[in-house]
Amino acid sequence: MTDQIAIHTEGLTKHYGDFPALVDLNLDVGVGEIFGFLGPNGAGKTTMIRTILDEIRPTSGLASILGMDSHLQSVEIRDHIGYVPGDLAMYPNLTGKDTLTYFANLRGGVDWGFVDSLAERLDADLGKKVGDLSSGNRQKVGLIQAFMNKPDVLIMDEPSSGLDPLVQREFQTMMREVASDGRTVFLSSHTLSEVQRVADRVGIIRHGRLIAVEGVSDLRSKAIRTINLYFAEPVDGAVLADLPGVREVNVEDHHVTLSFDGQMETLLKVVTERYSLLDITTHEANLEEIFLTYYEDVSA
Amino acid sequence: MLATIVTKTFLDRWKGVAIGAVALAVMFFFGMAVYRDIDLAVYTDLPEAMRSIMNIPADADVGALAYGAIYSSYGALTLASLALSMGSASIAGEERKGTMGLLLGNPKSRTHVLVSKATNIVLLSALGAAILWLAGVVVPDLLNVDVTGVYVGALVFHIFVIAVFHGFLAMAVGGWTGKNSLASGVTVGVMVISFFAVGLLPLIDSLKNGVKAFPWYYYNGSDPHVNGIDWGHLAVLFVGIAVLAVVALVGVNRRDLRGQTTRVSLVDRLRANPTTKKMVDRLAGSARVSRIWVKTASENQGILIVVAYVMFVMMGLLIGPLYTFIDETLISLTDAFPEELLAMLGGGDMSTPEGFYQIETFGLMTPIAFMVVTVLIGARALAGEEANRTMGLLLANPIKRSSVVLEKTVAMIVQAAVVAVALFAGVVGGSMIGGLGMSPVNIAAATLLGMLLGLVFGALALAFSAATGRTRVAVYGTIGTALALYLANGFLPFSEGLEGLAKWTPFHYYLSSDPLLNGMNWGHAAVLLSLFGVLVVAAVMLFDRRDLRQSS
Repeated sequence: MTDQIAIHTEGLTKHYGDFPALVDLNLDVGVGEIFGFLGPNGAGKTTMIRTILDEIRPTSGLASILGMDSHLQSVEIRDHIGYVPGDLAMYPNLTGKDTLTYFANLRGGVDWGFVDSLAERLDADLGKKVGDLSSGNRQKVGLIQAFMNKPDVLIMDEPSSGLDPLVQREFQTMMREVASDGRTVFLSSHTLSEVQRVADRVGIIRHGRLIAVEGVSDLRSKAIRTINLYFAEPVDGAVLADLPGVREVNVEDHHVTLSFDGQMETLLKVVTERYSLLDITTHEANLEEIFLTYYEDVSA
Repeated sequence: MLATIVTKTFLDRWKGVAIGAVALAVMFFFGMAVYRDIDLAVYTDLPEAMRSIMNIPADADVGALAYGAIYSSYGALTLASLALSMGSASIAGEERKGTMGLLLGNPKSRTHVLVSKATNIVLLSALGAAILWLAGVVVPDLLNVDVTGVYVGALVFHIFVIAVFHGFLAMAVGGWTGKNSLASGVTVGVMVISFFAVGLLPLIDSLKNGVKAFPWYYYNGSDPHVNGIDWGHLAVLFVGIAVLAVVALVGVNRRDLRGQTTRVSLVDRLRANPTTKKMVDRLAGSARVSRIWVKTASENQGILIVVAYVMFVMMGLLIGPLYTFIDETLISLTDAFPEELLAMLGGGDMSTPEGFYQIETFGLMTPIAFMVVTVLIGARALAGEEANRTMGLLLANPIKRSSVVLEKTVAMIVQAAVVAVALFAGVVGGSMIGGLGMSPVNIAAATLLGMLLGLVFGALALAFSAATGRTRVAVYGTIGTALALYLANGFLPFSEGLEGLAKWTPFHYYLSSDPLLNGMNWGHAAVLLSLFGVLVVAAVMLFDRRDLRQSS
């Protein structure tokens, strides 16, 4: 992430009648980062995206993309973005190729060699009519149209819906390439594992309010690890419970399960001095667990 | 569950039926009001062929005329059309939309679904018939017209049965094939052919009995409004309905359900063929998607071709020879036509070729033809893309919203121009075939005025569509406005105090200058053009300031 700002919102608020879909959203997404925008269905992710793209107008507040006002300079902005709408729909009677040609023409041309390489990577069939494609295959055409102009900012609303795991992995690689090019990806999703794999930072939105923005690595470092220890002999749980960073101890004869967020070194030293350790497994809590924790905390 | 499907379909559909039936009732009201005030010889002296098609007996009185002409032809055609659209949508329509699988994901059989849909066709046809019956009873009272001897109930019941028959025919074809457009196409074909056959065949001695092969005969062959219910004829239709129900039942249960697919057009086939691929690829592919307006203009080709064909051949080429054919009879009739009635039909002296063309082709059909094309584009242009959720994608490109509106407007102009060229060529051709010597320049003037009128209403639809993002609002709002203005333009001149108001309707600027005789009235053209311009600007402004809708 650099100092430059790709997406900026200030007090961004959108009401549908009385319903506050988006409330006082302040967010900065830096150029060159992959920003994950997380939230359950109906949280306001799509409303936020539609607002910054000038599809709908904010009730109050403002947004800018690459320093340009999202309403006043919307046309200039759109020269620099690629967009995959949520619940993607396209023209059913056009083939994938025709669809891409249409959008390419609206943008004044495209590098077809690059389009072909994208189609190959995603294993997309551009010869069929979009209406005859399965939803995953249609999604691929949508992804290609967003990537094909090498946009400075890619804005994608639930882009991997319908994609199979292999294609999803390729798609994640493509996003990382965009970021390493110094371009920006704004990825709205409720698939936490995906965001965890690609994003630098995540924003968590709920009921139209941004409740947290964290670096993925920060989130992880906060994370509590679950550690399983297997011993040759029965152990005394009380000894382990006194160690710094140990939150919960569960002893079953030779097997101990710990919730732990302290220094691994201290733990190992104590354990190996007293007992004969046979095996150890440890895993990080994933964003899913953290996310749920956050939500439970906030909603409580 | 049966009740659930019936209720849902009923709620989806009742408005269309009600609007159709109420429009007929209004037409009936105005029709009867006019018939009451004019010399009926206008109608009773018409050539037999025309009377037969319009279902007017030789000794018609006001009541018989109104019920015969308006209810038994327009009324039956309208209700039957509504029923057939329900019939084709019932099974095949849900398949095309991809909702059939969802529906059958519930623990109900295909038979169950079919029965619910069939129930609806019957219920909604009954609703339409009930509205017609009500109007048929109330209107004569309001207008103080004596209708003794007219069997309103019998007529409306016959209409109800023929509507259900066509609904079931469409349902049977759709149920058997799963093809929505085939079902409505076949049924419309059967309906129109049998409508004309029943009108015309009785006039030809050798073919007189052939009329019994057509379903329409069993609906009005017995003149139910004069003779009451004919159970014998209705029995034939009931048997037909039962057979069609069985066919639909067997058809829908025997075959694989279709998934949600796009139609395979001729162009697609040509594109798939290696020898034609390259050329068609250019035309139907890259060229077609080169600009927004080109893409938009290339859509709705089917309807454009039909409209252009009808205007070129039937309303253009054929009218010339027809004039020479019935010339004599008409000249003797013109005196009997009240001027106001002629004015309503577009004005003109029927004894001259120009007047005949004005009444036959330009009066009603030309505005309808242009409006079908322009209103469709105007309504779908913005609202359609929003309903289909493609507008967001389109506007992710670096184009202004105003450019989108303007490009869609260009597409509208292009399609209207296609109709204009067809109409112009048809009328010039008809004039040449009939040796009528009409001025091509004047024909061009009338055509251009018609095109401008169509564009005015297209732009109105565009403005509705821009303001609301709802296709239905755009279509119904525009049709309603156009109908009201058309009637106002036609009926206001009847009233002495209000006749000046007619010039506030766009229709006034279309034919009131008799362009076929007098050539172009540039002032009138300028009025229509300005109106068009104002509406387009309004559309641009309305679309620019609004939140895009997310879905239909």
